[in-house]
Amino acid sequence: MRDDAEAVQAASALLAEEAAAVDERRWDDWLALYLPDCEYWTPCWKDDDELCADPRSELSHVYYRGRAGLEDRVWRIRSGKSPASRPMPRTLHTIANVRVRALGDGRLEVASNWTNHVFSLRTRDTEVFFGRYEHTLAPGDGGLRIARKKIVLLNDLIPTYIDVYQL
Amino acid sequence: MRAESGIEPVHDFSRYLDDRPQDGVFRVHRALYTDPELFELELRYVWERTWVFLGLATQVRDPHDYLTGWIGRQPVLVMRDAGGRIGAFLNSCRHRGARLCASESGNRKYLVCPYHGWAYDSWGRNVALKDHQHGCYAPAFDAEDHDLVPLPRFESYKGLLFGCLDAEVEPLESHLGEARFFVDLVMDQGANGMEFVPGRMKYMYRGNWKLQAENNLDNYHLTSTHPSFMEVVKRRREGESANEQVRSPDFAQRLSRESGMFTFRNGIAAIWVRNPAPQDRPLHRGIEAVRRRVGELRAEWMLNLRNLHVYPSVQLADSTSLIIRTIRPLAVDRTEIGIHCLAPVGEDAESREMRIRQHEDFFGASGLANPDDSVTYEDCQIGSPPGVLDWHQGYDRGMTATLAGANDLAREFGISPVTSLRGPFKIQNETVFHAGHREWLRLMSEGASRERRR
Ligand code: FES
Ligand SMILES: [Fe+2]
Repeated sequence: MRDDAEAVQAASALLAEEAAAVDERRWDDWLALYLPDCEYWTPCWKDDDELCADPRSELSHVYYRGRAGLEDRVWRIRSGKSPASRPMPRTLHTIANVRVRALGDGRLEVASNWTNHVFSLRTRDTEVFFGRYEHTLAPGDGGLRIARKKIVLLNDLIPTYIDVYQL
Repeated sequence: MRAESGIEPVHDFSRYLDDRPQDGVFRVHRALYTDPELFELELRYVWERTWVFLGLATQVRDPHDYLTGWIGRQPVLVMRDAGGRIGAFLNSCRHRGARLCASESGNRKYLVCPYHGWAYDSWGRNVALKDHQHGCYAPAFDAEDHDLVPLPRFESYKGLLFGCLDAEVEPLESHLGEARFFVDLVMDQGANGMEFVPGRMKYMYRGNWKLQAENNLDNYHLTSTHPSFMEVVKRRREGESANEQVRSPDFAQRLSRESGMFTFRNGIAAIWVRNPAPQDRPLHRGIEAVRRRVGELRAEWMLNLRNLHVYPSVQLADSTSLIIRTIRPLAVDRTEIGIHCLAPVGEDAESREMRIRQHEDFFGASGLANPDDSVTYEDCQIGSPPGVLDWHQGYDRGMTATLAGANDLAREFGISPVTSLRGPFKIQNETVFHAGHREWLRLMSEGASRERRR
């Protein structure tokens, strides 16, 4: 990256594309943003103040070492055999306050805030989920790709359920 | 509510249960799931009169550790004091009733009320009454006890802590009764006790609490609610999915196995299935030592698949990975669920990680199966409004295979259940639900008649 502004722009564009791919259910596009050996992690809260820090000895809402875990989820969503995703809720992610730190070798560490408005077509209720993202982006085929994503869910008394499209 | 305003309840609760074993009939009225007035009465007569699970002794391991919870509408507080005793109290300041402790857990030597600053120690004793000397209190006030109010009953069994707001409830151990066999199969898995894996999994669904109460014992829904989970597992096993970080049980193998159920006193009930793949369980890795400690029969049954419901508040389910599920009724159509991953204290790191990955794969608000259950409860709630249809038809499978008393397996276990059933998985029996609904009727009727006597 030539300068910080360019890095912020590149990172923001990728985060926005990821959000759009999920909101528009372009699942193949979404998966293609991830490196095959990526880490995808939504830790549980340990108590009211502290997040779980070690996915090997503590619980996560979602923890995958590798894109295959996300591929399982996409397969399940598309299968039409999961009542939770049938009908699919409408989602709208908004990402803000993007901060970028260059790690060298073309990798970027990106912190951002997210809000996701979810309209359930099953119950006709609207829910809001919100929290923080931490992305590690790395050069891959066709540009920057996601090497790691950590999702901090701040409102973790969850209405009914969460899947990757609520996060 | 009528009874709280001093007028007698008019309910004859038996009209909500059409229970005629001699005719092969068991029907549950839809009002049990939808009537707000019945729900208010349930809080008083069911939830506030029987044993309710509060947590594990290992959650309050050190002096001054505390956890908070609920019994019906009442917030409660469980604390370990300086000397190591565990006490349980109303989480309610004696002064004007403020909830003392808002956190779910923590460690505090003193609890200071946020309102006027009364302070209590970890045995619930009032140790500071702010500006007492200037208070111009009458002697009558000073003669009163200002300590936190202990729960009328607080007892534990194998590290499971239960409280009850009714002093007249039978002792916990005899309340659990013959079902202790199934509790022991869970709580004896660890040589040094059992603990929760850190990490909070809590969610709410828009449905009555009995929908979760039943689902834990419901084998009938697996192939229709969870086909996506079953197929994801199959895809991994057949190499169509590259996900190798978790090996979850293949439900399809279970459909050909032997299964059954037992019901016990006090609404307690259990289902079981013989495990086609015991080697896939984390416990299997150390099963030799377990066998030496608990014997052949119990070790074998620790690996088999068992779901237990200690009516009404807690479920010990060991069919996918070992969980304790807590049920908290919020409204007639709203329930809060806690899912805890239960594990032996001192488990090796590799088994622990295997356990955690299996747990996350299936359970919690974000698992690949649990959400499918939660949304079907909401569909049940939406689909069963009061009015036109009165009765559900969901309690009849297994009717002619259900025995009164013990079957041969119960005799092998040395237990005497109220009813027993054993047979092919495909029976997917529903008579196991009768226990909870009969207990509902018993508690509701007794609660109402006791209130009338007062
Ligand atoms: S309510 Fe607690 S000190 Fe007043
Ligand atoms: Fe289920």
